[in-house]
Amino acid sequence: MKTIKTFLTILTITVLSVTASAQAKKTATPASTAVALKGGKVMTITKGTIENGVVVMENGKITAVGAAGAVTIPKGAKVIDVTGMTVYPGLIDSHTRLGLTEISAVDMTNDTQEPSDPITPQIRVADAFHAESELIPVTRLNGITNAIVSPTNRNTLPGQLSFIQLDGKDRDEMLMVQDLALPLNFNGRQRRNESFANSKFPATRMGVAAQLRQALIDAQDYQQKWADFDKKSAEWEKKPEAERKDKPTPPKRDLKFESLVPYLQGKKPVVLTADTTSDVKVALEMAHEFNLKVILSGVMQAQSMFDEIAATKLPVVLGEIYDTPKPNQRYDAEYSVPAELAKRGVKIAFASYDSHQVRNLPYAAGYAVAFGLPYDEAMKALTINPAEIWGVADKLGSLEVGKMANVVVANGDPLELKTDVKMVFINGHEVPMVSKQTQLRDAYMQR
Amino acid sequence: MKAKHLRASVLCAAVMLWALFASAQTSKPPQPEDVVIKNATILTVTHGTIENGSILIHNGKIAEVGKSVSAPANAKVIDATGKYVMPGIIDSHAHLALGDDVNEATSPVTPHMMMLDAFDYTDKAIYHSLAGGVTSEMLLHGSANMIGGQAVIVKNRFGLDREAMLFEGAPRSIKFASGENPKRVYGNRNQMPSTRMGNFAVQRAALQEAREYIRDWDAYNEKAAKGDKDAKAPKRDLKLEALADVLRGKVMVQIHCYRADEFLTEMAIAREFGYKVRAFHHGLEVYKVADKVAAEGVGLATFTDWWGYKMEVWDAIPWNAVISMRKGVKVAIKSDSNDFMRRLNQEAAKTMRYGGATEEEALKMITLNPAWILGVDNRVGSIDVGKDADLAIWNHHPLSSYAIVDKVLIDGTVYFDRSLPGLGLPFWKDAPMSGGGFGGADDEEGVRE
Repeated sequence: MKTIKTFLTILTITVLSVTASAQAKKTATPASTAVALKGGKVMTITKGTIENGVVVMENGKITAVGAAGAVTIPKGAKVIDVTGMTVYPGLIDSHTRLGLTEISAVDMTNDTQEPSDPITPQIRVADAFHAESELIPVTRLNGITNAIVSPTNRNTLPGQLSFIQLDGKDRDEMLMVQDLALPLNFNGRQRRNESFANSKFPATRMGVAAQLRQALIDAQDYQQKWADFDKKSAEWEKKPEAERKDKPTPPKRDLKFESLVPYLQGKKPVVLTADTTSDVKVALEMAHEFNLKVILSGVMQAQSMFDEIAATKLPVVLGEIYDTPKPNQRYDAEYSVPAELAKRGVKIAFASYDSHQVRNLPYAAGYAVAFGLPYDEAMKALTINPAEIWGVADKLGSLEVGKMANVVVANGDPLELKTDVKMVFINGHEVPMVSKQTQLRDAYMQR
Repeated sequence: MKAKHLRASVLCAAVMLWALFASAQTSKPPQPEDVVIKNATILTVTHGTIENGSILIHNGKIAEVGKSVSAPANAKVIDATGKYVMPGIIDSHAHLALGDDVNEATSPVTPHMMMLDAFDYTDKAIYHSLAGGVTSEMLLHGSANMIGGQAVIVKNRFGLDREAMLFEGAPRSIKFASGENPKRVYGNRNQMPSTRMGNFAVQRAALQEAREYIRDWDAYNEKAAKGDKDAKAPKRDLKLEALADVLRGKVMVQIHCYRADEFLTEMAIAREFGYKVRAFHHGLEVYKVADKVAAEGVGLATFTDWWGYKMEVWDAIPWNAVISMRKGVKVAIKSDSNDFMRRLNQEAAKTMRYGGATEEEALKMITLNPAWILGVDNRVGSIDVGKDADLAIWNHHPLSSYAIVDKVLIDGTVYFDRSLPGLGLPFWKDAPMSGGGFGGADDEEGVRE
């Protein structure tokens, strides 16, 4: 009886949430006819800016980009006059929690961390990604079309990331790349040291480092066990039937260690998050020890080693330029980090490290420009750089023929606060400019 | 014995002398002088923009504003060619420089808490906000209690000592709260309030007690005035005395409140007890009942686009500020955060995008309107003759993403100058600053105000 009641309650909640999220769910099948955006300022990112340009999209792809007059608009195409507008590729946020949280203070809506164990590489963001989240339409209306979804940095190895498209009819369509990287966090937040009395291992950085090293060694051993087994199995297979005896038995599968193997093999990158020089150094040494492929993230307090970071040629995901500097440090010490890294030739990509405010990503880039980052570098750090870092530059990050038609039209500079986004195309589909928030606005504006 | 005493005195004097020199900051504000800012684009907030204009400052006050001014020959000149001058930003909701002393969360009614008693004038957050163009802020009690403590209003004269940083003559304000925070804090302890009914019951009970306190004192004063020797003064009670001042209209009421129904309840209670609400803070659903809030003359100190951090902000929309303004509410954009306080110009700029505020309307939301919420709009908040010369000079239009503050003046004195080496602080003596992480906001997943 109780079970039935519980079931009914769950059912009711499910029905309610389906109704509540019934915003603008439509097919994401690419438009069948061509669409031409004509007359706008076209920022291709990789091939310069065209003052009076044309972008043609068909079947979800960009089929032509060029100056007005130089591009033939196909017959029957829907031509949209975007004179006075700016046309640019959809922006990419390199660290969000989109689809993992709905209301921060309501625990039942949060799937952002699994704090029971600091080492959880077997966790997959893709398993929890909530495609129907109300946050996604809110975010894409500001021109952000793609994002990395990551757990919070409470765990040292919190689980594997996904790269998402901010439109699609369900999670299958929206999860563009699953399990493409693994965060490796080392900035102190992984310590279980809430209070001296209640602390558990690892309560210090020493503990975090030791635990991580042990996990990587255990994964190496696991990898070796399977390699040995594979070798023995192959030998066994080669033997004539008559001589085959004592068939090798496979080791027990362990999902935690198994998930680390592609990283130990350097097939996938870890996203190494650390803030201070000493943390970055410790974590980088560990990464080298295990031959991990690294994307850096954070580094906001590592100014003293920026030359060294540049020398590693590693890309850096950053964006927490609003973290407060230490006492007696100059107020703009962190605002200027993107400029300082770009000046040294580091490939940077912006991240909001947020959920509800992912939509403000371009403004952080704009503020970095105010503090010395060249404008073109800022635009790249929102588009082609993250596309390259995350291995999707063949599809995203610039307005080029053959790429996916993730295209934004706005009434001004994408990094300016007063600029309003007017149109968003994702995979060639013109996304309705509707979110939970516009619906509330429209409902109450009239009253 | 005597020698020992002498030694102690000498030691004591030495310590005092040391303390005098070691006390980091100076107590005397620098002497005001005649200052003229020239060749600037002046964003007056009250009477439009003056291109290529000048501002004359005399004794810390704005003496003249216009295309040209009659500056004395010895006036200090600030050439602002290519720069923008606006009134110093005013933050009507901040918790900086209070360390972890924001919430006296041990009782839901604590009107006798004085934020001044926790004010730490060496907090780096003051420096950061000054460098973001903020000249004044109201430091409020937190929202754990239905009736919290009394605010302190600060001028960011960073580098001077504690007394010199207070906004002299600013009226008193008190923080009230409602909704999720009080019911969560006390509900978790199995105490009242644990519901919104409980919240308002606690508030009403406290106000009723204050009414009776006033009645008792009035009765006593009347008797005493008549020369009644047997009249016995009621016991002084700091808590009720503070609330009595609310009912007497001596303290402005600033209410942390999110939901449409709660604005209406708070206004009804205010009418019931005969006090006025100065402003709703956060107020993310004011757009739903803006006409009623406007009719009551209650202001709004809000975020531009925060939402979703708890259930009662699920219906927050970034058009709230402009919809409310269009319906007649006096709207301020505030920070509630040591982080956002550094870039309130950017938060204000978003109101142009969400709802189409004009530049002047957007600027008003971080200058004149918050000044009104603090009750100091006769002193600051616009570039008008007679007002305090609290000004921020920017390298671009302050509502642009690319704008950086060059200089900040308070009472005509430069307290921040980006071109100076080191910290850019002319009056800060080399001494350790205090201040840890963010104030009202949490840096990870936590609940904001």
